[in-house]
Amino acid sequence: MRLLKKGLSIALIMVMVLTSLLTGCGGKDNTPATVGDNNTPKASDGQQPSASAWELGSEELEFSYYHHYSWYTMPNWGEDPASKWILENKKVKINAISSGGDAEAKMSTILISGELPDAIWMERGAEVEKLRSEGLLVPLDDYIEKYPNYKKWVMSLENIDMLRSPDGKLYQIPNWYTSQPNGNTGYVVNKKIYEALGSPKLETTDDLYNYLVAVKERFPDVTPLEVGEGGDGIEYLLSAFKENRSGVFYGSNYMAIPQDGKFVSLFTDPAYREGMQFVSRLFREKLISPDTFTQLKEEVDRKVLTGKVAVYITSSPTEMGSQGDMELKKQDPNDGYFMIWPIAKPGLDRNKIYTGDYKELGWNVTVITKAAKDPEKIFAFFDWLTGPEGQCTVMWGPRGLYWDGFTEDGWAKFTDAYANDPAGRDEMTSQTEPINWAGNTVFVDVSKAQYEANLPVEKQNWQTRFQREITWKTQQNTTEFININPAGDSDEGIIRLTITDIFEQARASAIQTAKSDAEVLAILDEAERQAQAAGYQILLDYMTARWQENLNK
Amino acid sequence: MTTQSAAVRKEKTRKKERYGRDLSLGRRLLNQWDIQLMVIPAIIYIFIFCYIPMYGLLMSFQDFSIFKGFWKSPWVGLKHFKAFLAAPDFWNIMRNTVVISLLRIFFGFPAPIILALMLNEVRNRTFKRVIQTVSYLPHFLSWVIVSSFVFSILSVENGSLNLLLLKLNIIKEPISFLDENKYFWSIIVTTGIWKEIGFGSIVYLAAIAGIDPQLYEAASMDGASRTRQIFLITIPCILPVIILFLILAIGDLLSAGFEDLLLLGSNPIQRPVSDVIDTYVYRHGVKTQRFSYATAVGMFKAVISIGLLAGANKLAKKTGNSLW
Repeated sequence: MRLLKKGLSIALIMVMVLTSLLTGCGGKDNTPATVGDNNTPKASDGQQPSASAWELGSEELEFSYYHHYSWYTMPNWGEDPASKWILENKKVKINAISSGGDAEAKMSTILISGELPDAIWMERGAEVEKLRSEGLLVPLDDYIEKYPNYKKWVMSLENIDMLRSPDGKLYQIPNWYTSQPNGNTGYVVNKKIYEALGSPKLETTDDLYNYLVAVKERFPDVTPLEVGEGGDGIEYLLSAFKENRSGVFYGSNYMAIPQDGKFVSLFTDPAYREGMQFVSRLFREKLISPDTFTQLKEEVDRKVLTGKVAVYITSSPTEMGSQGDMELKKQDPNDGYFMIWPIAKPGLDRNKIYTGDYKELGWNVTVITKAAKDPEKIFAFFDWLTGPEGQCTVMWGPRGLYWDGFTEDGWAKFTDAYANDPAGRDEMTSQTEPINWAGNTVFVDVSKAQYEANLPVEKQNWQTRFQREITWKTQQNTTEFININPAGDSDEGIIRLTITDIFEQARASAIQTAKSDAEVLAILDEAERQAQAAGYQILLDYMTARWQENLNK
Repeated sequence: MTTQSAAVRKEKTRKKERYGRDLSLGRRLLNQWDIQLMVIPAIIYIFIFCYIPMYGLLMSFQDFSIFKGFWKSPWVGLKHFKAFLAAPDFWNIMRNTVVISLLRIFFGFPAPIILALMLNEVRNRTFKRVIQTVSYLPHFLSWVIVSSFVFSILSVENGSLNLLLLKLNIIKEPISFLDENKYFWSIIVTTGIWKEIGFGSIVYLAAIAGIDPQLYEAASMDGASRTRQIFLITIPCILPVIILFLILAIGDLLSAGFEDLLLLGSNPIQRPVSDVIDTYVYRHGVKTQRFSYATAVGMFKAVISIGLLAGANKLAKKTGNSLW
C-alpha cells in the first residue's frame, strides 16, 4: 500500500513535470517578452499621462487567490457579511485556492504544474524573491501611482525601501504594516488570584518567582505560569534578562543574537543562558505546567477561560485574555484578567524591556502573478481593501452597523452600537477579519483608540485598552531584521534546518530534563558545539550580511 | 494431514487440465481469457502508476529545480546519497527506524494473530461480532485524533493513567510519560497495536474460516483438546498467510511509520528516539523543497527494502511458503 501510494505520488509529480515542460516552454519564452514590452515604451514616454484608474465595482472582477499557509482556509466567499457586501457592491469574486493543510506541498504543485493563481498571500522574504527572480510576479509601481491608498499608507512607511525587490521595484502588498508600534505580546494576570494573594509587587523576575510559588501553595489546581502550547511564551519571558532586546531573538525565527552590528551565537549568550536556567527552575518546581510541550491550544484556552491560570504569557495573549476576562466577569464582576508592564531581572530598567516586536512592513504580503489577466484590477481591489472603506468593512462589517462614515481626520466613525453591543461587534470582527489580507494597522488602531479613549473603562474594549496602555509601548521595532533568513534549499538554508533541530532539542531538554542549573549550561554548551560543527557560523554570517544590506537600503 | 494433501493434489490435476503447462503460452492465455480479463486492469494500473514514473528516480542524481524542470536540472551524481550518509543524524535515524520496526514485528505482528485465534474460540456469535467491530474501529480514526487521545491519557496534570496509578498507590508522583525518551518506544508500539489489531485480525479470521471443519471433527474424535486443536490444526493451516505477511513486514522494515511518529513525537525532546527515515525526509526534504534529496533518501530506502524482501523470501522458501 505504501509502495503504491508512493508510486502514485511520484507519478503525479512526473505528470506535473511533463505538463510544465509542455506549457512551461511556451510560457517562459513569453514572459520576459511581455515584461520588456511593458517597460521599454513606458520608460521612454513616461511623460504621457497614465491611463485613468479603473474604478472598483464598475464591472465584475473575478480572480483566484492562493493562501500559502497550512492553517488558513478562506471563508466561503459571499457567506460572511463583509465578503457578501463586497460581492454585491464591488462586484468582486475571489476564488480561493486552499493549501489543503500542507502549504509547502501545495506550492510545489503549483510551481511544477505551472498553473499559477492570480494572486498569492504569503510570507515576505526568500520565497517571494524566488518567484520574482523567475519572472513570475507583476511589478506594482505603475499602478501605485494611479490609486490612492497604497500610495498614502504604504509608501509613507519609513522603511518602504526594504519592501523593494533587488531590481528596485515593488511587487508586494503588505499586511498589517504600520508606522507606529503595535503587537500584543505581554503578561496577562488573573485578577482574583492576584488579589487573594494580597496584590504583591510584580516587577522583577524574583517577584514573579515568589508569586508563582505562592500561587502553587494556595491554589494547587491552578497553573501558576501558562506559557502557551508548545511553550511559545518562553522566549518572551526570556526578554526579562536583557535590556533593549526583544524576546523574538530567542525563538526559532532567529536563533541568533544581534550584537555590535553582527549576529552571534545564541547558545553562548549570557542573557539566554541565565534566562534558560530561570525557566528550567520554574519547570522543575512545576510552576510551569509539565504538559507544556504536548498540550493543545484548546487545553490552554480552556484553562484561561475557566480562570485556572494565574499568569499567562504568549506571543498574543490578548485575544484569550479578553475572552477570559468576559467569561470570568459573568460569574463574578470582580474577577477577570489584566495585563502588567513587562517583568525585568532585578537591576534592569523595566522601561527598556521589550517582550515582543513589530515590523513596519507588517506580517506578510500579497503578490500578483503573471497569470493574472488584469493585474491592475486586482491591485485596485487590494488598494481599496487597505484603504479606510475596505478596512472598516473587513474589521467591523458593512457600513451602517458598527461604523458609519469617517471623522474629519479620516478615521472610522463608530456608531453607538459599537460601544453598546461589544459581543455582537466582536462576533462580527471574528467573522470578517479572516479576509483582511491587507491590514492597515495605523488606520485600525488609531480609529479604535481615539474612539475608545473617550469611553468609561468598563465600556472600553479589553484588548484595545491594554494594547494602548501596555503592549504597544513594549514591542521593539525589528524592521531592520526582515528577510534575513535563507531560502530552504540553499546551502545556508540546509544549515539552518540542522541548527533548528539542534536548537529545538536543546531548548526542550534544557527545560524539561535538566535536573540542575549546571545541567542547563552543559546542555547549551553541547548545543553550541554541535551547532558550530554543523556550520552555525556560516548561517550567522549570512544573517549578518542580509542585516547590513537592510541597513544600507 | 494426508487427507489434506490428497485434496490439494486433486485440485492441482484439475487445474492442470485447464491451464496445462504443456500448452503454448498463447493457447493457455486464450483458454483462461475470462480470468486474464480481470487481471489486465491491475496490470495496466501498475504499469502506468508504478513503472512509468520510475524514471523520476533519476531526480535523485540531479539538483532538481522546479523552475528548470526535469530536463534542464544539472546532474550531480551521487551528491545527495553522500549527503544523506554523511548527515550527522544518519546513524541515529537508522537506529530508530530499525528498532521501532523490530519492536513492531515482535509485538505488533503476533497481536492480531492472537486476537484472531481467541475470537475463533468464542462461541457466542453476538459477543464475537461486537468484539470484532469494537476492535477494528480504531483503524478508521486518523492519527491526529489518536495522538490527542494519547496525549490526554498520558499527560501529567489530570492524565487518566497517572490518576489511576496515583489512586492505586502504585506511584507517588505523576510520571511525565511524554517528556522522557525511555517511554516513547513503548507508547508508539502500544498505540499502534491498539489501533491496528482489530483490522489486522480480519485477514487471519478469514483464513481460519477457510479451514475444513472436518479436520476439527476428526481431531476431537481422536480426543484432542481445544488448545491442542489450535496448535495442531488452526495455526498450521493459516501458516502460509502468516508467513506471507511476515515477509511483507520484513520488507517494510525501513518504514517504521510516519504520521504516528510525527504526531506523537511532536515534542522536540523525543526527536532523538522518534526521528525515522520518513519523518526525516518530511522535515529535510519535502518541507524545504529539496526534492532531489528526498528522492535520494527514498531510493536508498527502497533499495534496502527490496534486499530485505528478497532475503526474507529466501528464508521462507525453506518452509515452502515463499512469495515467489
